[in-house]
Amino acid sequence: MENILEIKNLSLSFYTPSGEIEALRNINLQLGKGEILGIVGESGCGKTVLSKTVLRLLPKNAKIKNGEILLNGKDIVPYSESKMRGLRGSVMSMVFQDPMTTLNPTIPIGKQITESILKHSNIKYNEAKKQAIEMLDMVGIDSPEKRFAMQPHFFSGGMRQRCVLAIALASKPEILFADEPTTALDVTVQAKILDILLKIRDETRISIVFITHDFGVVARIADRIAVMYAGKIVEVGKTEEIFYDPRHPYTWGLLSSLPYFAKKGEPLKCIPGMPPVMMNLPKGDVFATRNKYALDIDYEKEPPIFDITDTHKAATWLLDKRAPKIKPPKFFGGECHE
Amino acid sequence: MKNRTLIKDIIIRLLGFVLAMFVLSVVVFYFARLAPGDPLQSFYGDATESMTSAELHAARVRLGLDAPIYIQYIKWFGNALGGDFGLSLKYKMPAMKVVSPLIGNTLILGSTAYVLVFALATGLAIACAANEDSLFDRAVCKIGTAAYYIPAFWLGVVLVLIFSINLKVLPSSGAYDIGKSGDVLNRIRHMILPLIVMILSHLWYYAYMIRNKLLDEIRKDYVLLAKSKGLNKREIIFHHCLRNVAPTIISIMAISIPHVLSGTYIAESVFNYPGLGSLSVESAKYHDYNLLMILVLITGFLVIFSSIIAKTINEIIDPRMKDSEVSAWQR
Ligand SMILES: Nc1ncnc2c1ncn2[C@@H]1O[C@H](COP(=O)(O)OP(=O)(O)OP(=O)(O)O)[C@@H](O)[C@H]1O
Ligand SMILES: [Mg+2]
Repeated sequence: MENILEIKNLSLSFYTPSGEIEALRNINLQLGKGEILGIVGESGCGKTVLSKTVLRLLPKNAKIKNGEILLNGKDIVPYSESKMRGLRGSVMSMVFQDPMTTLNPTIPIGKQITESILKHSNIKYNEAKKQAIEMLDMVGIDSPEKRFAMQPHFFSGGMRQRCVLAIALASKPEILFADEPTTALDVTVQAKILDILLKIRDETRISIVFITHDFGVVARIADRIAVMYAGKIVEVGKTEEIFYDPRHPYTWGLLSSLPYFAKKGEPLKCIPGMPPVMMNLPKGDVFATRNKYALDIDYEKEPPIFDITDTHKAATWLLDKRAPKIKPPKFFGGECHE
Repeated sequence: MKNRTLIKDIIIRLLGFVLAMFVLSVVVFYFARLAPGDPLQSFYGDATESMTSAELHAARVRLGLDAPIYIQYIKWFGNALGGDFGLSLKYKMPAMKVVSPLIGNTLILGSTAYVLVFALATGLAIACAANEDSLFDRAVCKIGTAAYYIPAFWLGVVLVLIFSINLKVLPSSGAYDIGKSGDVLNRIRHMILPLIVMILSHLWYYAYMIRNKLLDEIRKDYVLLAKSKGLNKREIIFHHCLRNVAPTIISIMAISIPHVLSGTYIAESVFNYPGLGSLSVESAKYHDYNLLMILVLITGFLVIFSSIIAKTINEIIDPRMKDSEVSAWQR
């Protein structure tokens, strides 16, 4: 499959008065045409920062220290702001975490969509309006002609997220970053939005980076999954590989904390400890202190990425030939005996 | 349902307005008469020195200054309701006649300053907010703050020294040269220095307020979405943010009317510009009670009325306010 987006050795830090926050550390990631890539990780691991880095929406104190972002084979890191502006909306767009605050409260929904369409093409307003109404219809808003002129406060959270989706898709981008688009919504609305995304992908071959901290959601939608921890990709693979053959202890932890795997009457499992603040990181593997399988070397040296298959990679010393063989917990086709 | 509450609101506000004007008139009437000094002095000038005490008493009775203050007030109030605001002691003609030609002068100066202050403040605020933390923004913030703290009368004197006395390009006082009251250009030339003083002493206060409101708006989440659509800074500020802070700017403008009016009065007295401000100072100095009363009432009217208008405009403009009201009633 042809890669539309390729991130190579990307590191990014925030420089704050209290010090450097290493929000992204040596990220390597590919996104194929028409692919849905799920990015999973706990709160604060850098999922939002990663997508904002690609769109260059971060505040001024964020600096790319190293790496390349190849969009259709061209590195966009050195691009000027005005060149980036030409890419935003037309080539890549983003759906943000909180639908209640991402729409301008005083501008009618329709105008917020046509604005994006008119920005990237030379069509007349009436044509743009027609397209905007089609967009609203496509994301499942009924009587879109009537809703076109309404302001966001007439809409529920789920409808607002559909509107944000319509805005993001209106100018027909090639890549969509969906940053926890369903986290703030209830389960039925969530399922509908996922269906819409899948339908749109099948119809338009758009590539989607789907960010979430919910493995259940990502299982439904993603072709491939990248697991992130403390600014690093710790495991990446096809969805089946991550679910049936997870190799990183952090992935094990995330999977076993799914309510789906909980035994009746027992409390939900969770990973002990807290994700680190990404300032003055310790030497070795950052996850070591929360990892009950940690080896001595985990406290000394960061693990490299080990290839398990062509598509499946993980960064843990457990994959080294010299490491003791550990029987991973089983999640599917058996009880979770952890 | 909604219309009735609107009418009720307006009636309540008008009643409050009348009450405020009444209280104001009582307070000023009373305190003006407590101030030391003799109003007869203004009426008869030096002639008072050669008058006997019987003559002085007779004069006082004739001018109605001998009765207890509350009686004087009731009499004044009755006459005022009929449109008679009494005689100006200094000018020896009806107070209304003294004031009316000057209202226009003050309104022209004040409203020009008002419009300029807010046009410039908004422009400056946009320029600063769009380039937050740039050299330009930081320099303007520092200079603006410094300019705001320059005392108006000191600045007035300096400007007169430079432009009127040294360069001789602008007049130092008055509203127009003698015999040129209809000459627009001449009037404008007289307004330049007072306007500079007023703009410098008000501009940054409001520009900074608007700048910060705008920055709050620029930091909101919807700006990220607008940015991710590919909009540029200008489009984001003008099509999105400015529109959302417009109600705030308008309410700041409405609330600021008394502030700008007081600035007008100060500029008038610094530059001897014939207007309500310089006349107010004069009337207080000369114990010209009737003149003072009418000036205070006009000023009070402008201040109180403008704040009522401000409130009403605010409610009309902010659709969120209105809608929450509607839905609360429909439920
Ligand atoms: N503007 C900023 N200045 C400094 N640090 C920041 C800034 N934005 C994000 N960070 C840091 O970057 C890290 C990653 O944040 P990010 O928002 O990407 O997390 P996330 O994975 O999206 O979490 P969540 O699931 O809560 O959305 C956090 O530790 C945060 O402290
Ligand atoms: Mg996030």
